[in-house]
Amino acid sequence: MTTPRGASLAASRTVAAAAATTPSRTLRTLGRAAHQYPRVVTSDRWAAKVDRSDPQRRDGYDLSLVIAAKEIVAGDVAVFTFAAPTGGVLPAWSPGAHVDVLLPRPDGSTLMRQYSLNGDPADRTHWRIAVRRIDPAAGGGGGSVAMHALEVGDRVTLRGPRNAFNFVSGTAYRFVAGGIGITPILPMVRAAAAAGADWTLVYAGRSRSSMPFVDELVALDSARVTIHTDDEEGQPDTAALLQDLGDDTAVYLCGPSPMIDAARALIPPRVPDASLRGVSLHTERFSPPPVVGGRPFSVTLARTGATVEVAADESALAAIQRVLPDVRYSCKQGFCGSCEVGVLKGSIEHRGSSMRAVDGADSMLVCVSRAEGDALVVDL
Amino acid sequence: MTTQSPASRETSVEGAHTAYAEEALAIRPRNVSFDWSSVPFHYVPTDAYATHFWNVMHLVLPEGERAMADVLGRALDQIEDPRLKEELIGFIGQEETHASSHESFRHYLEAHGVDIPRVTGVMAQIMDKIFGEHDLTGRAADAWFKERLGLYAAAEHFTAVVGEWLIDNAEFDRVGVDPTMLDLLRWHGAEEMEHRNVAFDVYQYVDGGYARRVRTAIVASAGLLTLWLWASRFLYVNDPRIERPRRPMPLAFIRSARRGLIPGIGFVLREIPPYVRRDFHPSKMGPIDKAVRYLANSPAARDAA
Repeated sequence: MTTPRGASLAASRTVAAAAATTPSRTLRTLGRAAHQYPRVVTSDRWAAKVDRSDPQRRDGYDLSLVIAAKEIVAGDVAVFTFAAPTGGVLPAWSPGAHVDVLLPRPDGSTLMRQYSLNGDPADRTHWRIAVRRIDPAAGGGGGSVAMHALEVGDRVTLRGPRNAFNFVSGTAYRFVAGGIGITPILPMVRAAAAAGADWTLVYAGRSRSSMPFVDELVALDSARVTIHTDDEEGQPDTAALLQDLGDDTAVYLCGPSPMIDAARALIPPRVPDASLRGVSLHTERFSPPPVVGGRPFSVTLARTGATVEVAADESALAAIQRVLPDVRYSCKQGFCGSCEVGVLKGSIEHRGSSMRAVDGADSMLVCVSRAEGDALVVDL
Repeated sequence: MTTQSPASRETSVEGAHTAYAEEALAIRPRNVSFDWSSVPFHYVPTDAYATHFWNVMHLVLPEGERAMADVLGRALDQIEDPRLKEELIGFIGQEETHASSHESFRHYLEAHGVDIPRVTGVMAQIMDKIFGEHDLTGRAADAWFKERLGLYAAAEHFTAVVGEWLIDNAEFDRVGVDPTMLDLLRWHGAEEMEHRNVAFDVYQYVDGGYARRVRTAIVASAGLLTLWLWASRFLYVNDPRIERPRRPMPLAFIRSARRGLIPGIGFVLREIPPYVRRDFHPSKMGPIDKAVRYLANSPAARDAA
């Protein structure tokens, strides 16, 4: 830089000042037009002559389906096949997609569990899911037990399909599945095989007899499938599962958290260039559970006067939703800031990583933050 | 259950519902963060104007994205379609994280002597005086709400096509744009591709009027272009770090566009018209594999919750 910095700074300040005080004629004209714009388009004459509402609405996200088949495989895995009661065509899905299964509970609430579709996407009249039974004593949340109680002929509400694990077209794949994590991977393997891609699968589990779909996978191409069992070879080393990756391999991994963490460390992220080539690591994005926990307190909504009790094991957001179902939120983790509301009374225990979750602020993130005392009054 | 082909959507009459024929894409915010400490001031090397062109994102988008998230959020209680509702909830969080990520770079610019209040002040005026509430009531308030949904839907078309441009642009790699800034631009672009249908579908759900769609597309495009050219020029001519004599403004824009470091006017003229076709839907703009691939590598986004 050869220009004397001070001089050019001073000159640019003058230019800035001039620009600030005397906008060009074009800008002034635009400004005047912009101010007229809301007036014109909201006038009655305009409404009568120009704008016609023509709402386009969709449905069919919630589907009442019937269980067409149920089979127990690998000891404790129930494989369900769903179909429309009238046998109609179901929405299309691609590998990696999942559905929400909504089960009514005796207390009137709904139990929601998400399961990957693991059948053939080309079969447009059936969907297949697999559910491993996990006893509550072994840490299960009761969802899998309720699922296993379903029988052929039962009607179940499914929502979806939705894809949070998108399968991109490519030339080389390494699939890594741990246990029941095979379910989203299975249709991917089939798609890669059908497309003639260069693929390999490493499928790890406790024992061969506890692993569903082994025969189905080996039948695709036994040379490309490696089965790793803990009882024969011990706990798998993730580094070994990710050996010999080609230059342009898409790694699709679904398994327990330690396996995901290890893979992330082994394949560090980098800013991809425009060719988007190179090794990429794909893992499924789950909606993380909301952060909760603490003492109970009450929240009063100032605009309606309604008061809701927030239990120790729920978020203020969950409690507010009981009286205000369309309150704004998004991440439920305290980072995005969508659920920020003004607090009119009471002191706040701030949680979350959003820039807005700061001490002294007179607003809170209702998805994670709580009351320091027993009660809050919020601007809702 | 009804089974209609996606094509039948276009012929549906008012009030008619057509069934979704395809899976939804899960739209969720990512907990990204960026460390600006090692970013050079002119992060697009050899092109100061291009740097300032992209700086406009940091200065004008946060206010616009928050206003958009606010207006679209008010449509939540009108939407009974659970799919559109969950997409909108994810969209709001993505827009909020875009706003705060771009905003985080303002501290850097301020520390480097950029007159931020001049630009953000104009932006705040625009959002308040033109796109604000205007104390309207009844039918006029409803019309203005729908008008703004139309404007935001059109602006989102703009950001989706620019987002794809950002991911595709090999010139960024060739000249060596700072990797942290490039990740912000491309992560943002990838999420814009991910949620490209949401604002459009909300507009179609609540109003769907064709005349309003065309009008708001023209207003939004003209407004964004004017704002962008004004703000980038302001930053460029007030940058004391640029060697004098400085290339005059229209030439600087043309040069950066020719070098492929910013989208040119031709890009705008090419990408906007499809939006005003009667049968337009964002899903017709091709697969979003690029966004998926980018996000599977992005240092900011890949491992973020």
